[in-house]
This record gives sequence, structure tokens and C-alpha cells, in this order.
Amino acid sequence: MIYNDNKQMSAVECKQLTKVYKSLLSGRSKAVCALKNISLSVSKGQIVGLIGPNGAGKSTLLNLIAGLIFPTEGCLTICGHPARSIKARSGLGYMSEHPSFLNRYSARAILRYHGALLGLSRKAISIQTDKSTQQLQMEEFIDRPCSDFSQGMRQRLALAIALMNDPQLLLLDEPSNGLDPVGIVQLRDLLKRLRDSGTAIVISSHRLGELEKLTSDYIFLYRGEVVSFGDRIVSGQAGRLRIELVSNGSDMAKKLLSPSKVLCVSDTELDIIIDDVDDVPDIVSDLVKIGARIRSVNLQTEDIEDVFLRLYNERT
Amino acid sequence: MKAYELIKETFCRHIFILIVHLSWFAVYGLFFIVFEPYNWGFQMFLYIWGGCLLPLILSTGIFGNDIASGRICVLVTKPLWPGELYIYRLTGLSLQGALHLILAGCGIFIVHIFTGIGNIDNLSLWVLSSWLLFNTWAAMSTSLSVVVKRAYNCMFLAVAIITINILASILSYSHSGDTVTKVFMALLKYAGPPFEFLSELAKGNFSLIKSAACVTHTLMLTVFYGIIGIIILSKRQFICERD
Repeated sequence: MIYNDNKQMSAVECKQLTKVYKSLLSGRSKAVCALKNISLSVSKGQIVGLIGPNGAGKSTLLNLIAGLIFPTEGCLTICGHPARSIKARSGLGYMSEHPSFLNRYSARAILRYHGALLGLSRKAISIQTDKSTQQLQMEEFIDRPCSDFSQGMRQRLALAIALMNDPQLLLLDEPSNGLDPVGIVQLRDLLKRLRDSGTAIVISSHRLGELEKLTSDYIFLYRGEVVSFGDRIVSGQAGRLRIELVSNGSDMAKKLLSPSKVLCVSDTELDIIIDDVDDVPDIVSDLVKIGARIRSVNLQTEDIEDVFLRLYNERT
Repeated sequence: MKAYELIKETFCRHIFILIVHLSWFAVYGLFFIVFEPYNWGFQMFLYIWGGCLLPLILSTGIFGNDIASGRICVLVTKPLWPGELYIYRLTGLSLQGALHLILAGCGIFIVHIFTGIGNIDNLSLWVLSSWLLFNTWAAMSTSLSVVVKRAYNCMFLAVAIITINILASILSYSHSGDTVTKVFMALLKYAGPPFEFLSELAKGNFSLIKSAACVTHTLMLTVFYGIIGIIILSKRQFICERD
């Protein structure tokens, strides 16, 4: 797809993306479909959390966007350019889950190396190195060899590498792994600043609490399919409603609610899942209409962990 | 800047690179002390030890280690043509080889001047032939490293060399007149690293035209092995997982 207007251009645009892993030795029978007909779009200045259980296809999707693997079918563009093209890569920053470096190199030498691969000048590399050192609190270990680094230091350095070219699209795989609480807060602030400056960020993470503090946009993947994307899974829209009744709670529940929405029911209490907080007045009004005497209504909005578990439980 | 960093990396990527260079020089010295070579003995040792074995060791895991550690996943997301990554790394190996062989050649020259042992006739041709052979082996090994993880490229190539040589010996001994044997030997002679041709070139047995043809043939083989590696690198998928 070709975009002429930069403002409208998506950072990532996937259409009917399918990825099938085939083993050369085992043949067709052992082919594994890791992603099925994925279509999605990530805009500039948006942070999207990639969530799903193990084996859902998160890493495959991230690897496809990063251009590390080819799609079996479908179309994928990065900032309007075909994935894997030099132009697509020039606006891409990628941080893998397990960063690995040449152990003999210092952090500064590694940043210089990656800056050179990006085609930056000596001066630009020096400026970026100083900027990253400050932003990611790397002053203490910038000149130490990588063999001495802790997991947290490695994560910071990997992030600094990903940010060397001021990317338009940043792909992060478990970025807060091994970071201390201060590091996590700094990372969060940095990512928010990058988002505000127009960088699109895709984060694959199992740390749902951390993701929730960064974004309300999630892609929930399950067995290679997008189960939920964007607004439909905005945390806070769905919720859990606890209604205390004087009596006859179970009868009311049978009359009004579908069994899959009811978490717990007794004569004096109804505990139900709601898809949208806007439905609360209607539910309460319907209960009153059929003669319910309500003592109290308590609304708990879903956090991302609840959303994850709900979507997961719906499919297992 | 890009070229400099990628070339420098081939030398700085591991401490064993420096150790290999130093131990190779030690082995040259040991060979000299033990055998006191005369005629072309020393040059031939340099040709085999420096031209054949050194590139295998220096290119050990040149891409395979990056693949195994997952580092390749970050490298291939950079705005680089995959050929650049390959060519600069091979150039790095080639420069190391050139420097190593020139130093070894200087060593042979100095030893001969001071002790009179050995022979320095055609020394520059021996060094050139060793370097050309070094490049061919380095390209072959580097291309193999794009396919296999860790340092297996060196091991696989060593096993392949031994197997092919045993097979060639058996065939030429038991089926010397067969067409299959002739084709196999011709394939080995022209498509494999030109060990025989380059040693003849170094001994000064070739005319100028034959020498030029031999050098061209060697360079073409190096380019051919290199292109295979570049094609594999650009078509290969990398799944980012650490071993």
C-alpha cells in the first residue's frame, strides 16, 4: 500500500497475514500455522500491547514486523514500505527478549558499532550515545565490558541500541525483564515520551500490570488469531458488577442474564461480568422492573489481567 | 564507518582470534626448529597451515555464533543490504589473512637472511598463493556459517575435506579409469579450493597467462562461494530465540 499523506500513514499495516512454519525434513504433515489471517494497523504515536498465552503467535507477529521472517501469505508494510526493505528497516528499532552482545565490547563500543550499521556519522553516534546514557541511566557502566553486565544493564543497552536511529516504529519484546523498579518507572516514562513524539511502539509482554500503565490498546492473540484488538478490549470498559439484593437473586439471574455472564449467584448477591460499563443502568433498571429489591451496586472495572483471563477462559 | 566496524569486529569478536594468530606463529617457529626445512618446505608449510587451516579457524562461528546467541536478529533489522554484512566480514577475514601471511613471509625472509636455512625463491608468490587460497576457504566457511549455528561451520568443513579426500583416494586407487572418478576428480580440481593450481603457481611452474588464469579462477571461486553465502543470508529467516 502506498501512502501519500504522512499524517495518515500507519506505522504497521498487516493484511491477511498468515505464517506457516514448515519443517523441511518432516514435510507438509508437520506444518504449523503460527498466525492466521491477521489484519491490523498500528498508528504513529500509539502504544500497542501484544498479549496472549504462550504459543499464541506473539513472537511470530513481532518477528514478522521486524522482518526476521517472511509471511506465508498476506501483506505487511512498515511506515508505508514493504517489511524487510531497507526503507522499512531504517525507521525501525527492535529489542529482542534476550539481548546478546559481543562480550569484549564496552557499552559505548556497542552503541558505536550499531550506530555505524545504521549509517550514522561519528558525531551523530556520539550525540545519540550521550542521550541514551542519560535517558537510560547508563553512566555507571557505559565504558565497562558487556561480560560484566547484569540482566538489567543488558536490557538498558538493548533499548539504547533500538533507539539509536530515533525510530518511527519501536518493537520491544519483554522490555522490562530484569529491570529494577526504578528502571521500570524510567522505561515507562521514556516510552510515554516517545509515544508523545509520534513513535509507534509495539510491546510484547506478559507483565500485564506494566502494560496497563502504558496503554489501553491491546492485541490479544490466541492460537495464531487476533481475538481482540484496539478499542474492543479497552481496559475499564468491561467490568464486573456486584449487586446485593434483599432476596430471590437466583431467580432474577435466570430471568435476565445469560449463564456465561454470571460469575456467582445466591439469593442475596449477583456477581456478573459486563461487556460495557454503559450497560450498568440498563441492568439495574431491568432488575427493578422484574421486582428486584436492590441493596447496593458495586462496579469493578476489569484490569488487563481480568480481560486476559476472560478472553482466555472464553476460548478454553 | 560501517565497513570499519564490521571489519574490526572480525578481529575483536573473540579473544581466541588473537590467540590463534599468535599460536600459528609459534607453530611456524616450532616447525622451523624441529625440521630445519630446506628448499620449499617452509613455504609449503605456510601454504597449508596459513592458507588452508587458518581461514577455517578464524571464520569459526563468524555468523553461527550470532545465530546461536540471537544477536543476528538485531543485526538483520538494521538498514543494511545483507551482502554488506557478509562482504565486510569476509573482507575482515581476508585482511587478517593478508597481514598474517605477510608477517609470516617476513619471518621466513629474516630467518633465511640470518641463518641461511630454507629458500626464499618465489617467496612473494607463495605468500600470494597462500592468501588466495585463504580467501577461497574463508568464503566457503563463512557461507557455511550462515547455515549452521555456533562454530559448526569449521567442524563440518573439516569433516567434509577429510571425507572427500578419502573418497578421492579410494576412487583413484580402485576405479581410476571410470568416468565417475574422472568427473569427481575434475569437479574437485576446478570447483573446490584450487590447492594444486596455486601451489604450482607458487613454485613458478606456470607461464604468465596460466598464472593469470589460475588467479582469475581462484578469485571466481571465492566470489562464487561468497554469492552463495549472500543469497542464503538474504533468504534466511531468523527466529529470535537464544540457545
